[in-house]
Parts: sequence; structure tokens; C-alpha cells
Amino acid sequence: MTADLHVVGRSVERNDGIGFVTGRARYSTDLVFPGMLHLKMVRSPVHHARIRGVDLSAAERVPGFVRALTHQDVPHNVYTILGLIGVEPEEEFVLAVDRVRYVGEPIVAILAETEAAAYEAVARVHLDLEELPAVFDMDEALAPGAPIVTHWGSNAFSYDGDDHRKVRLGDVEAGLAAADHIVDGEYRSGPIEHAPTETTGCVAVPEPNGRFTVYTNTQALYFSLDNTSIILQLPGNRLRFIGGMVGGGFGGKVDVIVEPLATLGAMKTGRPVRYVYNRSEEMQVSSTRSPWIIRIRDGVMADGTIVARRVTSYADCGAYSRQTPYAITKHAANAAGPYAIPNVAIDAWCVFTNRTPTSAMRGFGVTMASFAVEVQMDRVAEVVGLDPWTIRFRNAIRNGDIKPHRKPAADVALVETMQAAAALVGHELPAELRAMTSAPRDQQDGGR
Amino acid sequence: MTVSSYFLPASVPEALGLLGEHGPELLVIAGGTVAMPLINEGISLPGRVMGLRRAGLDRVERAGAELRVGATATLTQLVGQGDVPLLAEAASRTASWSVRNMATVGGNLFTPPPGGDVATALLALDARVVVAGPAGERTLPLTAFWTGFMTTALASDELVTSIIVPLDEGRTAFLKFGRRRANTPAVVTVAAHATLEHDRVVSIRLALGAAAPHPVRLTRAEAVVAGSSLEPAVIDEAAALAAEDADPVADAVASDWYRRRMTGVFVRRILEQLAGRAGRDA
Amino acid sequence: MASVIVGFKLAGREVEVMASPLATLQQVLRTQLGHTSVKDGCRQGGCGSCTVLVDGEPMLSCLLPVQDIAGRSVTTLEALTPAEGLHPVQRAFLDANGFQCGYCTPGMEMLAVALLEHNPQPTREEIEDALGGNVCRCTGYEPIIEAITAATGSREAGR
Repeated sequence: MTADLHVVGRSVERNDGIGFVTGRARYSTDLVFPGMLHLKMVRSPVHHARIRGVDLSAAERVPGFVRALTHQDVPHNVYTILGLIGVEPEEEFVLAVDRVRYVGEPIVAILAETEAAAYEAVARVHLDLEELPAVFDMDEALAPGAPIVTHWGSNAFSYDGDDHRKVRLGDVEAGLAAADHIVDGEYRSGPIEHAPTETTGCVAVPEPNGRFTVYTNTQALYFSLDNTSIILQLPGNRLRFIGGMVGGGFGGKVDVIVEPLATLGAMKTGRPVRYVYNRSEEMQVSSTRSPWIIRIRDGVMADGTIVARRVTSYADCGAYSRQTPYAITKHAANAAGPYAIPNVAIDAWCVFTNRTPTSAMRGFGVTMASFAVEVQMDRVAEVVGLDPWTIRFRNAIRNGDIKPHRKPAADVALVETMQAAAALVGHELPAELRAMTSAPRDQQDGGR
Repeated sequence: MTVSSYFLPASVPEALGLLGEHGPELLVIAGGTVAMPLINEGISLPGRVMGLRRAGLDRVERAGAELRVGATATLTQLVGQGDVPLLAEAASRTASWSVRNMATVGGNLFTPPPGGDVATALLALDARVVVAGPAGERTLPLTAFWTGFMTTALASDELVTSIIVPLDEGRTAFLKFGRRRANTPAVVTVAAHATLEHDRVVSIRLALGAAAPHPVRLTRAEAVVAGSSLEPAVIDEAAALAAEDADPVADAVASDWYRRRMTGVFVRRILEQLAGRAGRDA
Repeated sequence: MASVIVGFKLAGREVEVMASPLATLQQVLRTQLGHTSVKDGCRQGGCGSCTVLVDGEPMLSCLLPVQDIAGRSVTTLEALTPAEGLHPVQRAFLDANGFQCGYCTPGMEMLAVALLEHNPQPTREEIEDALGGNVCRCTGYEPIIEAITAATGSREAGR
């Protein structure tokens, strides 16, 4: 059998490896075109403000200035990052209109012959801003009287008419009341910046046939093309997106931020336009992983069985929701962990503050849930007086168990995976745990 | 504005001439490791810039009982010299190999906190700064060089040309506390120079970096240590005085509270190191 | 504007470029001379992706005005890559899969070449110290250290 395998079990050279080790690999940010213009952005210097006026006159006099793009130049001035998959409302502006909601929010795009001229022109744009109270903490943002970040009156994203995502299975109150132990935990995480070594960027090039070729390092090529098409009100067949060479993404290059404006610049000037974040923009302005607060209350029996789990979670989406509403949905589906718990209540909020918008990053929505749940399991083990392996084996999901969002588990292998992990680290499991399998509970020999 | 002129004078008189002609508007750079990041991102928009790499200021030479370090000698050159181990160590703990090949000793005097690790070591070594201006050359002790945050005793038409380090038999030590081992800004940096007779401290100089507007001498801590045998009680008192005398700011690297606390910890550690014993932490 | 002609040696050949005042070696290499292996990760001297060798010594081209290196010899990855085949350091990186997104790879390889020139048998700690100024966000560094160790010709350099 092994003789038939040409790839499995062998070390295979990556087909792009030669490009990397020779430096010949071409990234969109390496491309230079004759007549190329540079786009640099005028950004809000404050957390929250009404825009009373924007004065471009001094910027226009900078040698090398070509033109500015304001919200009036953008045909459909709203990002549609999740709108494409039906998650509404759309609430982030491509260029700010009358209010800015976070430090770094884009207001005016400057196009110039050189980067230095663009930077100088940006520095000479005069903004007339009236600062507004800002909120940076989720508990404060949800309290009555908080400054409201969104334009529909609430700092909580709406799910089917409710102000948060809910998952219900069984009766959590009854489960907690019947439990031998109550174990509480609160878990917090901070925002994490992807910091890819290559910053976000693209070059949009007008073609002689009226189309635009956009060379981009987005992780989401079709997402980017579709969003650009909608924002610029251009049929998709006038756009040709070329990508695939991404100098680090990790979820940080899925927000489709640079392509629409670079393409608009190419439309308005007839010249190639390069829009690439500098390192400060990549750190401060580009989205991060959401900070979370996850509170777990477990009802546990003396033998370690978790009979009830209540999870209350908050993700800070910052000033605009981006991908965080989707993160909350994923989170709610997974927040009880891979354990068979008959009574579960999950409430998960997507909260707006005046911080940098947060978005996708490696497993977003679930990564922090895993952290919270696994630390909680260790706490439960401590309280009940069992070891961390036993607590997990006894509660591990089996085929046929009903998950909190009411779907039966199928093809699970948590028990077997833990057994393999124990063998790998040389940890001897007691007989009870060695005997367990993922077979449906009513077919188990012993176990729970 | 886009840079309209970049001058690369081939001598100190030529450099001074350009300074005189263009005045304080002329941005002076050496290694470029502090200025270029700001220019590259459009934060700093100088019109005229002068670079000092070609001005003949990059020699490191021993002259009798002194080491003369040219202002544009690189940190790599300091790592490579064997006359002053404290400077070799401080330089090797600064930045990365590539940056050390570019950053200059003189430039380190102008690096704002939390930078200035080499400057901190120079302060402990009682270095002197040689300054050239239209009226000629003058020398001032490093203790008189800084007058405040990012301000020095230099007139706008003067240039630092070299740093003079006395060579002696003193015992030296250097501790830099960063968030990681390499290429890291300091939470605190401490440098020490002591002369001892048997175990009695005859002279002591303690310099603190990253925890004040510029590198400072910890004179009150020095006063309790001088004449002592670095007994534990003396070290305790010196560390406490040092923590009081720190004047740190909070930044992305550390809070001011933490810098002040770490000042005490690392002054303790460096004194224990001078005494030849590794000790307990605060 | 007051551009100047700057001449230096690149890949063993004399080149000349027209440089605006304070134009960096990085800008000139990437946008005028086609040496895009010199990357552009930060322009702050913090990531090392723009590392080149000037007279054999590693420097950060993003901080280096090209006028400052007039007459000197500059080496980039393009200069080291043979017309056919690979430089031993490149072969070592390819065999060890010392990359994921590839963006830090040229800088890492330039550092490795410089290190092995100075110190043909570095210890692991010496390799780590040499790489202290080069950031990789993908690999966790282990495959890169493996690659450089393999490039020394000795599997167990100093560990």
C-alpha cells in the first residue's frame, strides 16, 4: 500500500519555495508601474468627533499633489464585508461623512506623484473636528447613558431583533440548582494585532479596455472583488483581481480596506494607484482580534459530571463591526466546549466602543472560547477533587449527544484523541478512561 | 515638505559651515536609526538634512589613558574594541546586529528614553564630550551635556565630534532589563563603575537609563555606597534611594510605576554584582 | 528638486542611479534597480526584511540614504542567487522549509550569509543573537534556525 503513495509520508518541496528562497516571489507591494501614484490617507486623530469641515486648500498646493478623494467621490460609500453573506446592517463608511468613531478612521485620500508629496499633503489637510465623548470599555458601553458609537442608537449588534446571540438547551437554572458544586470563572483577553511582516496593500492599474487590474495581498480575493464592485458600482467583469502572494495574513487581510479606494483613484486619474499601509497604520489602524470577556458558571456533580453551564460573553468589535458579528455567532455555537452538558445557556454580545475595529484572526470567536472553557475545566477538576484528564473524559462529547445548539454530535473522536495524547506524553490513564470510546452513550461499557 | 537638500560634508569644518548657513532648520543625522523611521512615515518632514557619515568622525583610538571615540563611530566598533569592556557590553545589548552597524555612539547621546543604553554606560564611565563650533572646540563632562528631555547644552551651530572615555582599573557592570533578550527597548538600564580597596568602595558611579528624561547619575545612592563594603543594608538603602530618584515615564514598554520599581531591583542587582555576589531579588 | 547621480557596486557591477535627496538604498534597489528581494516591512529598522550587505556587513537599507554608500559594494539576494541552481544557504532554507509566507526570507538569508562569513560554525545561541533584528511572524523561527544550522554543514552546531 505504501508503495502506491507518492506524496503522503514523504517530504514534498513546496512549489513556491524556490520563489521565496531566491527572493523572486513577487508581492503586490513590490510592484512598480510607470506613472504610478501614491495614496496616503488623512485619518482621524481623535477617538470620536463630529466633522465640521475639511480644508484641502493647503494640501492642494503641495508640489506633486494630484487629487483628493472624499466621501462624495465614492459611489456606494459603505463597506459590505458581511453584507455579502446576509449579515446586516452595513455601517462602516469607506470615507467618513460627518462623524469619526476611532483614532485612524479614514477621512480623505490623497493621491500624489511621490510618497513624500503625499505625506506632506496629508499633513497639510486641515480638519475641523468637534470632539465627542468616547467609550473604550464594554461594560461602560452597554450601561445606560453611554456615548453611542453606532448610528442606530445602540452599542450592541442586533441578532434577529435581539441585542445579543442566544443559545438555549434544557433548563440551566434547574441544572445549577441541582448541582453539588457551583464553579465560576471569568476570562479576559486583550486585542492582538496580526502584525504581518508585509503590510496590507494593493496597486490598481487602469487597463486600455476600461477594466482595472488590482494586484492585492488580500486573503480574500473574491470578497475583495465583490466589495470593490459594489462600492464603486462597477460590474464585476470590469475588475480583474490578481493575488495569492500574501506576506502574512492570519486574518488581518480579509477586511477589504485598500482595494476600493485604490481602484477609485485609478478610475479618477487614469493612472496606477498604490495604497499600502505603513507600519504605524498596520499596528494602529488595521483590525485586531477582538478583546473578550467570557464568564462561565458551571453546575457540577460530585462525580465531575457538568450538568449545567451558563456562558456570558462579550466581544469588543470596536467602532465598526467588520467580522465580529460572525465571530459571536461562531462563538455561541462553540462556547460550551466539546462536552456533553444537558443544560446550557449561552449569551454572547458584540459590543461597539470607540476602539480600533476588530475583526478576523485565526479561529476568531472560538479560540478565546477554547481558552476560557479549558481553564474552566481545570478549575472544575480542582473543585471536585479530580484530575484534569478524568474531568474531561467523563464530560467528553460522544456520538449522539445533543450539542447546545440542538444538533446531534456525529463522527466525534475526542475520547480517542485524548487517549492518543496521553500515550504520546507517556501518561498512564486509569482503566475507566482507557475503556471509553466515542460510541453513543447508551452503547458505552461503563463510562458515564 | 519633501526633502530638498541632503548634504554629506567631507569634514567637520564643512559640516560646521553648513550648520552656520542653514541654522536650526537643518536636521543633522548620523546613523539615521532614530531620524529615518520618522521621516519614512511622514511624521517628520524636514526640508534640509545633513548626514555625518563622511565627515571623518568614525575613528576609535586609544590615546594614553583615554579612549577617543569619534561621534560617528558605530556601536559595532564599540563592540569590537577591548579597552573598555563596559562599552562593548552596553553596545552589544543595544538593538540588533544590522542596526549596530549603522547606529553611532554620538547618536546614542541624542536618543530619547527608553533608548540611550550606551549613553548610560558612558555616564558611569565619567566620559567627556568634545564639541566643535564656529568659535572652536570645547569639552564638557557628560554630566553637563543633557539639560532636559531631548535638550542638550549644544548650541544650534555646534556638533559633537568625539567622546573621551578615561581608562582605568575600575570594576564595571552593566544591566539592561528589556521585555526580551535581544533588540528590545529598556524598561531600565543601569551601569556602574567602582574602585575598591580590598572590599571597601573608594569611588562609585551609578548611571540610570530609560527611567528619566535622559541618563542620570544616582548621586544619593552613590553617597551611601561610597566608603562602604557593599553590605546588604547599604545595598538596600542605595536601591531604595535610587527608586525614589528615578523620574520615569509610562510608554508602550512599561508603566512609570514599574520602571521605578525595577530601578530599585536592578540597582540592587548591579551593586551585588560589583560586590562579587549574586543576591536575592527585591 | 535636486536629484544626484549616485554610483555604487551592485552584484559586482558598477551601477548608477538618480536619487532624490535622502532617497534610501531600499527605495533605489526596489523601485529603480528591480531588486525586490529587498523587502519593505516597516521602514523603521525594526523588522530586518530590508537587510542588505554593504561591503559584506548587514545593514538596514530602509534607514540608509543611498548617497551614504556611494562607491561601496552592495549585495542583495539577487546578487547571491546563481543563474542556475541555488546558493548553499538558499538550498538549506528550501530543504528545511524555513519559510511560510516568504516575506522575511530574503532578510533572514542575507543575515545567514553574513553570519557564516564571520563565523562558519555558530552555536545555536550565536544564530539566535544574529537573527535578533529579523522578525518572522509565521514560522516561530525554529525552521529558520534549522536551515542555518544545516547550512553550516554540521547538523549539531553547538547545541
